[in-house]
Amino acid sequence: MKTVFTSELKPLLEAFAEQTELYVPKKSGEYYTYTKYKAGSDEPLEFNNIRTCTTVKEFLFPVCELAATYPEPTEPKEIRQFAVFGLKDCDLHSMAVLDKVFFEEDFRDALYIKRREKMFTISSDCFDPAETCFCTLFGGKSFAEKGFDLNVSKVQDGFIIEAGSEKGEEFISKNSGLFSEVPAAALTQRDEGRVETEKQLKQNNVKYKLDADVKEIVESSQDSEAYDTDSQSCVECQACTRICPTCHCFYLYDTKQSDYFSKMKMWDSCIRCSYATVAGGENPRKVLGDRIKHRFMHKFVYFMDRYGTNMCVGCGRCLETCIGGTDTRELLKKLSDEFKTKK
Amino acid sequence: MCNSVVPKTNAHECDGKLYLPFQCKIESVQELTRTEKLFRLSRKDGKPFGHKPGQFMQVSITGIGEAPISVSSSPTRGDYLELGVRKAGTLTNAMHELKSGDEIGLRGPFGTFFDTESMKGKDLLLISGGCGLAPMRALIQYVEDCRKDFGNVTILYGAKSPADVLYQSELEQWQNSDKLSCQVTVDTVSSGTCWDSNVGLITKLIPPLDINADKTVAVIVGPPIMYKFVTLELYPKGLSDKDIIVSLERYMKCGVGKCGHCTIDHLYCCTDGPVFTLDQVASLKGAI
Repeated sequence: MKTVFTSELKPLLEAFAEQTELYVPKKSGEYYTYTKYKAGSDEPLEFNNIRTCTTVKEFLFPVCELAATYPEPTEPKEIRQFAVFGLKDCDLHSMAVLDKVFFEEDFRDALYIKRREKMFTISSDCFDPAETCFCTLFGGKSFAEKGFDLNVSKVQDGFIIEAGSEKGEEFISKNSGLFSEVPAAALTQRDEGRVETEKQLKQNNVKYKLDADVKEIVESSQDSEAYDTDSQSCVECQACTRICPTCHCFYLYDTKQSDYFSKMKMWDSCIRCSYATVAGGENPRKVLGDRIKHRFMHKFVYFMDRYGTNMCVGCGRCLETCIGGTDTRELLKKLSDEFKTKK
Repeated sequence: MCNSVVPKTNAHECDGKLYLPFQCKIESVQELTRTEKLFRLSRKDGKPFGHKPGQFMQVSITGIGEAPISVSSSPTRGDYLELGVRKAGTLTNAMHELKSGDEIGLRGPFGTFFDTESMKGKDLLLISGGCGLAPMRALIQYVEDCRKDFGNVTILYGAKSPADVLYQSELEQWQNSDKLSCQVTVDTVSSGTCWDSNVGLITKLIPPLDINADKTVAVIVGPPIMYKFVTLELYPKGLSDKDIIVSLERYMKCGVGKCGHCTIDHLYCCTDGPVFTLDQVASLKGAI
């Protein structure tokens, strides 16, 4: 795949903004969120050193969307081409997880698929991971190797742009005037930077290293009390599931608009008490600890069995957002210790 | 007749519109008890429903909501679809207000079904409690229509009280039939109520039965508590978890294995179920 160099990003972003809606990271307090890029604006681009606070799932599977209308069944609202800049390897992994669910044969979700197909993915290397990042525990990296259309690596005098798909190659060819050949020194610098970040990530998580395969550990934790202990500080705010880039529970509800009825699809959370309650009042997971355990089992065991991949990408958003102070890594480590004792 | 009407695929026909209901007309509404009604529906586009006994539909009333309801009729009876509905929540309360001629939205059929192919040649023990008779009725109708395919057929049905007994005329018909055996019991009879059948829990009806364990399939549909105690009576008869089929109730929301509400551990009740063999779910904590 083509790899090129540019000394500044602005012209590249302007080229995107001409053709499509472009979303870029913007610092809000101590975190990054996404904002629509305004073409021709003087605002400097904020190159995000780590993942944003909000997730890429919001672009593909919005908080609330129109799923069906009656009468006059309409095709999903026209979705325009859009590009997202600054996604990290963990974000790309999370998209791969959602793809498995919503592209599933027999039950393909047209709403998701349409957005996915219209999205241009521009990833970038992490170079200053947060203390909460733990992607390396699950085979994640500080830079993307696949799943992107273009990847941007920041080096001292500019940016290395690498194509990861035909769409990416095409963009580079069409805008060849913006790019030059990559200086050899820049490539070396990029690779050294990547190694350095990787080292830092591993260092941050050395104490959370698991003693066995995560699936095996979680699978053996059916009778563990760790979930109930954890639930004591949980206030069921459900923030962990909303901020999780791979959580995809949703609810369907009906509303009446001025001239039609609509079925809406809205995020839901398996941590919510009445989440699984049936009309007769039976609730298969009444106890909060059981719901937390079910979430872990889904992430690390059931999803792996069904789709052959782990559902946690190690982005660390859940531990940043938890007001009860739950740390996924600590809980996993605890389960890992219990696993070791059992053996 | 039996083979021609049962569709081969299990995929929900949706043309990519997973969440859009198709419109149906209510052909008739029959009051079964104080809290249950039977709705007969036909598709407005005239297409067959393609349902099999044991499957469920997502029923929606525009602007009100959507709920999963088991199919109560067998496809061998014609292109219509019947739903026996208990008034239990928002949607079913609104549904009970509907009259013949009204419109209603449906998605589905969804989920696994009673595998009548593998039941061929077997003796059937069909045990249901409460509104578990609604999905069981679809299977019973199927068995009646393809009676030659099966061995002995025994129906056991339990309700809380005589006033709660569903499908009374059909039960009477099954009880009087020489092609199958049918016993009905109620938990209690209040004084002054006329009742000339069994009184007591459904589990009491099992020990006297003569069961050939080698060729019997038991199907159980009812409230969660029933599964536990009925299976305890079936084991001494020589039946194992592989011979016992159950249909489980969960909150199916999307119907297509994505939204997560109906999960029982790793299983999605909407796509892996609602019909399971007991050995699939017996070891799952909280499944039954």
